[in-house]
Amino acid sequence: MDPDTGIGGPVGRFPSTQLSLLDAATTGLLNEALDRVIALYWKPVYRYIRIKFHKNNEDAKDLTQSFFTTALQRDFFARFDPAKAAFRTYLRMAVERFAANEHAAAHRQKRGGDLEFVPVDDQTISSEPAELVYEREWQRQLFALAIDDLRAHCELSGKQLQLRMFEAYDLAESDRPSYGELAARHGIPETSVTNHLAWTRRTLRALVTERLRGVTSGETEFRQEMRRVWI
Amino acid sequence: MDLSDSVIDHLRSIVSLPDLTATRYELESEIGRGGIGVVYAARDRELDRRVALKVIDASLSGEARLIAQLEHPSIVPIYEAGVLPDGRAFYAMKLVAGARLDHYVAGSPTLSERLRIIRRVGEALAYAHTRDFIHRDLKPQNIMVGEFGQVYVMDWGVEAVAGTPGFRAPDSPLDRGSDIYGLGAVLRFVLPAAAAPALRAIAAKAMSADPADRYPNSSALLADIERFQEGLAVEAWAEPWWHRVRRFGSRNAVLLWLLAAYAGIKFFLFFLRNL
Repeated sequence: MDPDTGIGGPVGRFPSTQLSLLDAATTGLLNEALDRVIALYWKPVYRYIRIKFHKNNEDAKDLTQSFFTTALQRDFFARFDPAKAAFRTYLRMAVERFAANEHAAAHRQKRGGDLEFVPVDDQTISSEPAELVYEREWQRQLFALAIDDLRAHCELSGKQLQLRMFEAYDLAESDRPSYGELAARHGIPETSVTNHLAWTRRTLRALVTERLRGVTSGETEFRQEMRRVWI
Repeated sequence: MDLSDSVIDHLRSIVSLPDLTATRYELESEIGRGGIGVVYAARDRELDRRVALKVIDASLSGEARLIAQLEHPSIVPIYEAGVLPDGRAFYAMKLVAGARLDHYVAGSPTLSERLRIIRRVGEALAYAHTRDFIHRDLKPQNIMVGEFGQVYVMDWGVEAVAGTPGFRAPDSPLDRGSDIYGLGAVLRFVLPAAAAPALRAIAAKAMSADPADRYPNSSALLADIERFQEGLAVEAWAEPWWHRVRRFGSRNAVLLWLLAAYAGIKFFLFFLRNL
């Protein structure tokens, strides 16, 4: 199976206080809001298309790019009605419609030719339903962006030690070091490790909250999305 | 950076921890998690005591203010309510050491102990109903039995909660009658397999699909349980005649024994006289 694209990763900028999508639309800051949406949703949409429509890396990339370009041209974001669905759901359903149409159009062009076989490796790309992969990817991207924000914030505020603690402990894939080991490694008391980790976690929480606020339509949806992440 | 699923799960758990830096509480550990919030054990630095801290969505912050109005020995007291920097609401309450009713019942307590718990729950419900407050989600998981036998009814009256299958009344909207249904469901849950038909009938009456067929209030349900415990006929069950005779026998056992002894002595004296 060809690997996933690296496009759509975190962009690594420190977020200003983020307006909700609707507030951004009404205050003329829609483009900034759209950048935030694309930063968060590009990868989930790409993964969703890959799995749902059995696309390879290049086709999925093209389709994802094409979706966002078309969406922007067609004023897609302005037509979002928060009373009907969460923005995350609205976007996924729009992607499904768009990709299904594109898929059907491509299929029509090939009609009369050879039969189209879906490559085996693309069929087995994930055992999870595409909707679950989309949700999971959305969370992954949300945290990746917030961690990027955290890195930028630590650089600016001279908190590199706190960041290193966080990376060594909270981003460890396995065999998380003990607080004592971290203290010995950096020559600081164990209580400082506790305080440093508490600070980075608090800051990360605030940054995740900010990111969420920037891609939801208002207070109600923001709270609902927060519950999805927290609980 | 591609974060693995396990790292994402870890990050979700750490960012969901409440930021208590501006409060008097220190977080200890998570002790429960439900659809509307998470409960943590925490330490109150000022009073040097442990408390339970429930963190809920901001839209439900009114819950704490409402529960704080309820003062009853079987309702957990609220100490303080507040808002976290991320907008979530929290309230601190008494940390109850003990077991959830479903776990407690697994330890096979006696029937009278099970009925004592139902009485305490029913009394708390009756009190709350006099204050125009309904529980909405009565179930064994929301009832705690303390170390010294105290009974606490938790998780009161959250609008967002529509009950739990198996314990939820088929009513819409939920009202006091729905709580009577829930109390009946909890009674049915705690009854042992060999429970008397009269007790099963009490639970069944409380759980009638039509609210009009249920007990009018929890006091009426408790009164029926009391009648059962005193060996009287219960309102919920039209018992067959042989049950009535047996109940009469067991209720008046001493009198019957005395009568039998009297008849025996009389017969013995009659026998002696005619020797």
